[in-house]
Amino acid sequence: MDWVAVALTEDVPAGVVIPSRIEDTDLAIWCAPSGRYHAWSDRCPHRGMRLSHGFVRGETLACIYHGWQYRENGSCDYIPAHPKLTPPSTICVPTYACTEADGVVWVSLHQTDSAMPDMGGRQPVRSMPINLSASDLAAHFGAEDFTTIAVVSDHDVLFAVQPCTDSACVIHALASPDADRSSVSRWLEDLRATLEGVPA
Amino acid sequence: MILYDYVLSASCYKVRLMAALLGKALTLHAVNFHPGREHKSAEMLALNPQGTLPVLTDGDTVLTDSADILRHLTVDQPEWHTEEDERWLAFASDLNNSLGLARLHDVIGYEAVIDTARAAGVMALRKLEAHLTEQRFDGLIFLTGKAPTIADIACFPNTALAPDGGVSLDPYPSIRLWMRAIRSLPGFIEMPGIHRLHELAHPA
Repeated sequence: MDWVAVALTEDVPAGVVIPSRIEDTDLAIWCAPSGRYHAWSDRCPHRGMRLSHGFVRGETLACIYHGWQYRENGSCDYIPAHPKLTPPSTICVPTYACTEADGVVWVSLHQTDSAMPDMGGRQPVRSMPINLSASDLAAHFGAEDFTTIAVVSDHDVLFAVQPCTDSACVIHALASPDADRSSVSRWLEDLRATLEGVPA
Repeated sequence: MILYDYVLSASCYKVRLMAALLGKALTLHAVNFHPGREHKSAEMLALNPQGTLPVLTDGDTVLTDSADILRHLTVDQPEWHTEEDERWLAFASDLNNSLGLARLHDVIGYEAVIDTARAAGVMALRKLEAHLTEQRFDGLIFLTGKAPTIADIACFPNTALAPDGGVSLDPYPSIRLWMRAIRSLPGFIEMPGIHRLHELAHPA
């Protein structure tokens, strides 16, 4: 598992941080005002608060608990209770490889030289959680791997799948550039209802 | 106007938030809903025989339904209304039986079939997310119009408080951006469990 889709870029505009996860790894995904995306461990090194509850402050991410601010490389930049202190370099949030391509935010939990999956010129539609494991979803469509699943459909849909738990994943859906996104969204809702076996 | 209020009530917060956004003054009369059950006291039952909160009095007018109160507060302000609001006011009312019930179960020990309440809450969030996603396809962020309406204010509290009832909001990007837009409105106020967007100064 190299690159995994964790969000669509339009869902994480500059200045926004969101919670996410890849299997057992909780992530804070945030977009700096510069437009650069970051994927960090979702845990403040100070008291363990989820950094995804925090806020983007300039080109830093700040914890909502005590306001500790972290630079884009994950190192602590500022501690409000000790404004004259230069924080020691050992105070650092674990960071992961994160980049944007084709309107999708991609994360790799380990260093990788792999290329980003090819979206084939499709447009991003929406991200949708589903109560089904990523591997079960891939199996349903006869795909060997869940990273991307091409779905035979009216809208030339492609799923980039984010594994979350043994019974849940998130589908990041892309579709043909001329597809009506509302139609694709409703088709996705129906698909989820079918696959989860409950009425929509 | 006097609001008979309980600080942890999502429906009372709807009224406080609406008044704050309008810049209208409310006199708050705190009611000890839990554990005092003061909303069932003789004085409160005389005001509202249903024994529910919120209650708003404005002169001789007594209103006991939060949607009615939102309509009353905005009666002379058409910019807070669209024709589509009614269905979302009904949706907001239904949230009391799903997300709202799960929260009251977890926070103050209400009796509930908690798994059923949470499952209904997830289905409601999915409907809200699907609608807000389609709004965003049209370049809109609020539920029924270009600007916020009473529908947004009615649906916001129980949605934003869902995590207090054990229902995660993590998987809903359109709901997240909608809540962010509401929290960004001038005059926005918070309640326990709903914080404002931070505007702390950047260090020098």
